[in-house]
Amino acid sequence: MYTAYVIYNHRLNERDFHLALRLPKEFVQPRPGQFVMVRTAESEGPLLSRPLSVYHFTRLHGHVVLELLYRIVGRGTALFSRWPSGKEVCVLGPLGNGFHIDEKKRNHILIAGGMGIAPITYLAAWLCNRSSDGNRMVFCLGAKNSGEFIGLERLEKIGGQFHISTDDGSLGTCGTVTELLPEILGRCEADAAVLYACGPPGMMKSLASCLPAKVTCQVSVEARMACGVGACLGCAISVLASRKRIVKKSVCRDGPVFDLREICWEDL
Amino acid sequence: MNLSMDVEIGSLRLKNPVMTASGTFGYGEEYAPYVDLNSLGAIVVKGLSWKARSGNPSPRIMETPAGMLNAIGLQNIGVKYFINKKLPFLRNFDIAVIANVYGETVEEYLRVSELLTAAPGVHALEINVSCPNVKKGGVAFGTDPDMVADVSGRVRGITDLPLIVKLSPNVTDITVMAAAAEAAGADGVSLINTLTGMSVDVERRIPHLQNITGGLSGPAIKPVALRMVWQAARTVNIPIIGVGGIMTAADALEFIIAGATAIQVGTANFINPKATMEILAGIRDYMDRHKINIRELVGTLHT
Repeated sequence: MYTAYVIYNHRLNERDFHLALRLPKEFVQPRPGQFVMVRTAESEGPLLSRPLSVYHFTRLHGHVVLELLYRIVGRGTALFSRWPSGKEVCVLGPLGNGFHIDEKKRNHILIAGGMGIAPITYLAAWLCNRSSDGNRMVFCLGAKNSGEFIGLERLEKIGGQFHISTDDGSLGTCGTVTELLPEILGRCEADAAVLYACGPPGMMKSLASCLPAKVTCQVSVEARMACGVGACLGCAISVLASRKRIVKKSVCRDGPVFDLREICWEDL
Repeated sequence: MNLSMDVEIGSLRLKNPVMTASGTFGYGEEYAPYVDLNSLGAIVVKGLSWKARSGNPSPRIMETPAGMLNAIGLQNIGVKYFINKKLPFLRNFDIAVIANVYGETVEEYLRVSELLTAAPGVHALEINVSCPNVKKGGVAFGTDPDMVADVSGRVRGITDLPLIVKLSPNVTDITVMAAAAEAAGADGVSLINTLTGMSVDVERRIPHLQNITGGLSGPAIKPVALRMVWQAARTVNIPIIGVGGIMTAADALEFIIAGATAIQVGTANFINPKATMEILAGIRDYMDRHKINIRELVGTLHT
């Protein structure tokens, strides 16, 4: 558990915020897909930490800066939105297993819906720093409408091919991100492509039903959690194991990244 | 001055009164990166049944004012897997391991207890007659004094290990339950388990938990737990382990002064993985300031 200080807590739109925290240099650099548990250092609430994906990480002289995105979805995140600069908070992490990155694959297809943009952006920056010239990134990004579309500028700086959709057509094509996929997949060799996705359950469910079987896809899932370390079992999801058994896995400790086809989406 | 923190629950000697509550500390290894396990009084592991249980559907937890609701439904790896795969890790530490036992039937409690009694490295049993989130067993046994006595007495008959009975607060009179456990031969009682509660999403008009109801824990229940510990301490002669919303050393001391011989830290572990260590340090500091041993402090409430 680290003590951190709010550098800024910018409102991006009605419900979404960009939070930057200053942490001691001992904080380990997260791998893409990992998350942190965040709460206030005082007792004004919320009581439990909230799990947030890493959006950006910068190592500076003597300290590190951790950037996170969050949406107001309840009392806890509403309290987060009132944090002023300089506010002392607590951060546990980095936690969980990140995305498995296969260096041999040439086509990285990154799919994000809504707040899923946070881990996808961090992954893109990571891939950009490590990839050789032959690799390319394709982004499929979706949101409800243009007002809820966040983080595009940062991704454009990283660079790649962009496919954008909104539910109401106010930005990009009208529809869902999954509708963009068949055309993109048609243009690359399926076995050279690797997909990474993060978004609302509806988006990931439709991904699971539309992707050809030979295409692998890793998804980062979200769940209510209390501890973040595998003790409370609050974040359990049903996962297909060997011999068609269905077992419970903890999103925090076994995830948050899973194989798309491993998850029993009907239970979510 | 050399003040002592050790306490006893039956023949179980603990180097200090700080334990972890069942279901909030996994099987120890989850918190090993954050906590010096050797410095804990005891670890109470997640409730164990005969066979592995997959627990309830999600969502299973919800934060509520000053607390949280959970309906995990006793998801666990089963007693055999615990003995073979989790217990060896715990044997590396100089720590009392208390196995929490759950059954759907009295026979299941007995079978699980038998295996645990034979397993090297289990130092005591805590019988869970108070889980509110399962359809059979659990709290169904814990709200009827005859059934508390039956389960406790029959487990007593098959184990030499110190026997603790974890009681439910979802009863009219906790002292009746504590007395039933004592009469059946329990060496101690843990109280309290969670209080049954619920929470509703008004926009969608659905319960926040898939199970509809769940067990309330955290600071919200501390006054209730404290009152029950105080009542039970005036009724029974066996040691009481206080549990319920303990977040700080001051909270722990309240329980000890009200009559608890030891305490368990539960929900606080989720919020601060080092909570047990901070509580331990705070109790030690209190002992130094008041020049008092823990055993002399138990039940010293002036009324």
